Amino acid sequence: MRRTLAWTAVVLTGLVLQSTAFAQVKLGGAKPDLVYLVTIVLAFLEGPTSGATAGFFGGMAEDFLLNLPKGITALTLTIVGYSVGATRQYMVTPSPLLPVAMVGAATTLGIVFNQLVTFLLGQHPGTFYVLKIALLAGLYNAILTPILFPVIRRVAEASRAK
Amino acid sequence: MALYSRPRNTRLLVVSLVMASLITITIDYRGGESGPFEVAGRGALSVVGALQGAVSRVVRPIGDFFTGLAHVGSLKSENEHLKNEIQRLKEQSQESTSLQRQNKELFAILRLTQNLGLTGVAATVIGEGIGNFEWTRTIDRGEADGIRVNMPVVSGEGLVGHVVEVSGHSSKIQLIIDPDSAVAGRLASSGETGLVVGQRDQDLTMDLVSPEAKIFAGEQVITSGYQTGLYPPEILIGTVSHSVTQPGTLTKVLALRPAVDFSALEFVFVVTGPSEP
Repeated sequence: MRRTLAWTAVVLTGLVLQSTAFAQVKLGGAKPDLVYLVTIVLAFLEGPTSGATAGFFGGMAEDFLLNLPKGITALTLTIVGYSVGATRQYMVTPSPLLPVAMVGAATTLGIVFNQLVTFLLGQHPGTFYVLKIALLAGLYNAILTPILFPVIRRVAEASRAK
Repeated sequence: MALYSRPRNTRLLVVSLVMASLITITIDYRGGESGPFEVAGRGALSVVGALQGAVSRVVRPIGDFFTGLAHVGSLKSENEHLKNEIQRLKEQSQESTSLQRQNKELFAILRLTQNLGLTGVAATVIGEGIGNFEWTRTIDRGEADGIRVNMPVVSGEGLVGHVVEVSGHSSKIQLIIDPDSAVAGRLASSGETGLVVGQRDQDLTMDLVSPEAKIFAGEQVITSGYQTGLYPPEILIGTVSHSVTQPGTLTKVLALRPAVDFSALEFVFVVTGPSEP
């Protein structure tokens, strides 16, 4: 129960920051996506089950703030959360670059997948634009990871301790 | 610290979540504006609107901050602001070269006088859309101020977009640069019509109905304002920058520079009712 509340608070904080502070600060014209970041970090720390669940609820929450059919980001982040959690188990380097790289790569792939789904639903994303934004957003997320990862990990450990 | 969760349980969970996502997408996609999830969407917009409003009020420079405070709840300064907006729109309409063309038609003169007065609500832009793939703005007026979905939105410079979502005290506007935005436009000099579509950070494109239309560089494009259309007529959309001929087709596509500078958009005007006579 404590765990659920703690993770809900983290996802909601990410969402609030995304809507206010980070709505204006762009990297090459792209905004980061903090909900992706939180989901990937969570999956990294807690495994595929928590990753998929956090992805579903975080993605659904983000969907309600967007002008698109609800459920697309939920779908994307469920898959991203599961994949990151599942593949993370096979990576044993203690290097601090690992979470940064995973966040960057998973964000980029996640955004491309997300836009593919919106394209199937009749939106017009534009291939070149999607790739450009996916890479920039992935980079932006990766840059933010060293700052936010320790914070999220503290929350994870605090909620786990009994 | 990786957890070694039981693979079968995890897969079952993930499959259920994926199914739930797909079902949600289907329901919302088919439900459209009256779908069951729109209520939650409005609730979210209320919360985000409130947050963005709070943040933008703190972040703006002190001068604007006090001006913003003075506007809140003050009818007099809002009237003043509205008057300024209407005056700017009038001047802009008069400058448009379409006036020269329409003066030849008696009926058009009558319509032009009607169209100079737009009734509506002035609002401040308090935030942007949060995603990377939508071109929207959040404003600090909502249902309580008379705003409804599909109302057109303009600024002193020209056409901004239309309302796509409304909550109690904030609304979301889709800009004309959004690729899903389509506006019926008319060339100022020849009167030829076409569909103006957003192209994100690039110039707008206008698909001309008649490929033989004569076009001048820098020519203005205004809303054509059909009765069944979304936007009132005579509102400046942008200016022609160049034309793009599609090889192998008979269509002519123009690139338009939008009249409104969306990166600096601060005040807008939502058209709530029919034009003043």
